[in-house]
Amino acid sequence: MTGSSSLRLGLLYPREMNLYGDRGNVLALVRRAALRGVELEVATLGLDGGDPREIQSCSGFLIGGGQDLDQLALAHDLVSRKGPALREQVASGAPLLAVCAGYQLLGDHYRTAAGDLIPGLGILPLRTEAGRRRLVGNILIAASPGLGLANPLLVGFENHSGRTILEPGLAPLGKVVRGGGNDGDSGAEGAVLGSVIGTYLHGPLLPKNPALADWWLFAAADRTGAKIDRSHLDDTAEEAARREAIRITLRGSRSRGYRLLGRRPRIRRTG
Amino acid sequence: MTRADPRLRLAVLAGKTTAWASRGLGLGGGTTLPGDVARAIDPQVLRKLGASPRQGIVLVTGTNGKTTTSALLRQIAASAGWRAGGNESGSNLIYGLTAAAVAQSDLRGRMELDWLVLEVDELSAALAARELRPGILVVLNAFRDQLDRSFEVDQVAARLGEAVAALPEAAMTVLNSDDPRIAALEGGPNATHFGIEDRELDRGGLPESADRPVCPRCGGSLRFESVYYGQCGDYLCPACGWSRPLPTVRATRLLTIGLDHMELTLAGPGGGVGPVDVPLAGAHNAANVAAAAAAALAMGASWEQIRLGLEEFRPAFGRSQVVPWRQGQVRLLLAKNPAGMEASLEAVLGAGSGPVLALALNDGIADGTDISWIWDVEFERLARGGPRWIVLSGRRAAELGLRLRYAGLDGSRLLLRPGVEEALDELAARSEPGMPAPALLTYTAMLAWHRAVVATGGAQPFWTEGR
Repeated sequence: MTGSSSLRLGLLYPREMNLYGDRGNVLALVRRAALRGVELEVATLGLDGGDPREIQSCSGFLIGGGQDLDQLALAHDLVSRKGPALREQVASGAPLLAVCAGYQLLGDHYRTAAGDLIPGLGILPLRTEAGRRRLVGNILIAASPGLGLANPLLVGFENHSGRTILEPGLAPLGKVVRGGGNDGDSGAEGAVLGSVIGTYLHGPLLPKNPALADWWLFAAADRTGAKIDRSHLDDTAEEAARREAIRITLRGSRSRGYRLLGRRPRIRRTG
Repeated sequence: MTRADPRLRLAVLAGKTTAWASRGLGLGGGTTLPGDVARAIDPQVLRKLGASPRQGIVLVTGTNGKTTTSALLRQIAASAGWRAGGNESGSNLIYGLTAAAVAQSDLRGRMELDWLVLEVDELSAALAARELRPGILVVLNAFRDQLDRSFEVDQVAARLGEAVAALPEAAMTVLNSDDPRIAALEGGPNATHFGIEDRELDRGGLPESADRPVCPRCGGSLRFESVYYGQCGDYLCPACGWSRPLPTVRATRLLTIGLDHMELTLAGPGGGVGPVDVPLAGAHNAANVAAAAAAALAMGASWEQIRLGLEEFRPAFGRSQVVPWRQGQVRLLLAKNPAGMEASLEAVLGAGSGPVLALALNDGIADGTDISWIWDVEFERLARGGPRWIVLSGRRAAELGLRLRYAGLDGSRLLLRPGVEEALDELAARSEPGMPAPALLTYTAMLAWHRAVVATGGAQPFWTEGR
């Protein structure tokens, strides 16, 4: 490796869309890039920044989860101001990983329980409607083999009341092994189209799913021609956290039993 | 109760029997189940018992500091010569409040108390306010906490607003000036505010774990002149001109000495107190003391009685409690969310607390099953200094280990000891004599560690402490 190789991560709305430790994903990408001989620079594309030229300078993108109000506040900026340049970038193969509320914003629209219609980017042919019961808990999915992940089992935590409906022909990110996924009963989780992945596995998803972090880095390198070391890394610590999370997810959630006792406060949130 | 109420009596009797049986069978302190049982027999049991305390009821709510603030208040009340009781065990959902009220009451459903001081969960506060009709409601703060359960901070703030709205007309509200969401609550004519006014505590900016500082009035971005802890500080909104309400009870000078005490000066209507030595540490605890003082004034206590109470105060269960383990000593600190974890880390690092520190992360219901929040905590500061070894424990010890590595800590500093006893052994073995090794624990981890210490005879069961 020459050491001069570099990539640029466009981090969309980090002030607003950082609800559940989304910073972990940035840490994971920066760290793994460094181990692979690439310097990953982080460009913040917030409400007060991110003009088309800045977006064009990025090799790939990340958008996290946020509260309803935040989602509403930035939807217009995302769709009208950043939309065209972003669409162009992903069409030419730049990876975009969208988590939770960020995932919903990639679709056609999200209709909240309050009846608000939040417009989406329309990059993914899907829509989201508010559901009655919240899907909350640990989640384990088997990612589609087409992605070529070194380890297709992805583990994380979901917390959403939105039900996401994929248009026919749009492939889910994977199949639900444990948890709710897109809608709680179709068995599908997330969506993948070209270099775009949307998922309800929220917050710090990449540290304990390093295969997905590598998917992002390799796609970004492919897109820009940056040199990147693709050899196997020592993931002992990552694997330990993975095994721990998978074990707890498979053991089943005690929170379900708690809900049966009726003691869990039932709050409806849209987002 | 002027008339005998057979249903109430039966509910109280059944609740007390359940508590007694629960302890006898070794099922724990019986701090919730008696409430379930009593409410099943008489759904009005809490409403009826709530009429009993002679002076009234104080509810303390907010994300962090409930247990400490209500313990402070009970101590001040005791030092003022009142009889005060409450939910010392920290069971703070409606069932826990009911269990506490049942435990305090006699078999006729009467409490020989002047004040009932209860801490209550943020999401249960409105229900508790409707059932108990408190004379005083203290609202401390709204931080990110257990997002799997309470979902969003704005919603928590909205629920706290419902609690304020549910108060009887004559009730007093005691609100935190420094937390914008709390300061903006419509407390009505009987609102009083507390806050910190010591610029030397300014941290120079919002931490990563703080939420976007939104003006609760207009949605604009708040500008912070100083930040004391979490998103609490001195702020104003350049867009609409709304600014921090001036507190009537102010912590004007704070000097933290080590991990377990501080010298604090308070000012307020009719005088003030201090510097007084209080066995608590950190800016967040200075706010808790100011909150307790403001509530105590509302209860009719004098500054002299407040001073006495603060001097006689001993920390609540698991709040900087020192316990023995084998040949060493361990200091137990509760750290259940980013703001709490950062406050505890700050205190630990500020005190220069020796060669070893333990962190224990569980993902039980009471901890919050979503542990994503650890990625918001600025553990990076441990990479720049702090103890030589970090013992990692609890059900999610491995993810905690991953978080610390990604914060830049060398793997050779991390000791993965998921079990309670192995973690305590490691901690005790590596600690220095005469210097309790700090352990930052989530809620159920705290219970488990405490239970292990109790089993060796090193401490009393938590439900008997503070009585």
